[in-house]
Amino acid sequence: MTTAKDANGFVSLVLVSHSAAIAEGLAELVAQVAGPSVPIVAAGGGPDGSFGTDGARVLAALRQASGGSGAVVLMDIGSAVLSVRAALEELGPEARSIEVADAPFVEGAIAAGVTASTGGSREDVAAAAREARGTAKL
Amino acid sequence: MARPSSEPALELRATLPANVALHARPAGLFVREAARFDAVMTISANGKTANAKSILEVLGLGASGGTELVIAASGDDAVEAAEHLARLVAELV
Repeated sequence: MTTAKDANGFVSLVLVSHSAAIAEGLAELVAQVAGPSVPIVAAGGGPDGSFGTDGARVLAALRQASGGSGAVVLMDIGSAVLSVRAALEELGPEARSIEVADAPFVEGAIAAGVTASTGGSREDVAAAAREARGTAKL
Repeated sequence: MARPSSEPALELRATLPANVALHARPAGLFVREAARFDAVMTISANGKTANAKSILEVLGLGASGGTELVIAASGDDAVEAAEHLARLVAELV
């Protein structure tokens, strides 16, 4: 693990789900495991509260989490990637502080949250999320 | 007792309190404390061994309350790290 912890604090997480309840529930679970210090932004559900992703909500979440020590974004299922990519493009230069992690949503967020809580760099946090792909549950 | 830093892994045993499983919150606390040390550490229970600094591996142990854990550490601060974690396990609430 590098020690590139930014003076501004902890790396943030952005959780993008097709369901508001999943995004918010996962944010609560990660806070329970990783402690209260890691900023977590939940962006779930479509514009009208239906299942889906809301480009404006995702953009607002990325904007909120960008800057400082940076942010790592996790998505629940594939099509959320499109919303995240579009939002990153719209964000412009601020997007440089944000890394998208290809990882299982729940396990990746927990691993990423704990790594962020120990002062891990954005690269460390994203790597922890990706490592969750290979961690057996049984 | 002072140990040279080249000493191989040291093992300590610690038992989880009867009513505390190594679930989300306690496991998170354990891993966050483990991450404070440079030592390489593993934690074993139920015939499985986890990297003490990996939350997913520690959760995967499925250690329920009253389980005896073996904490193995090697590295410069191994003694301090293992003692700290063993104490933490015993005092989890």
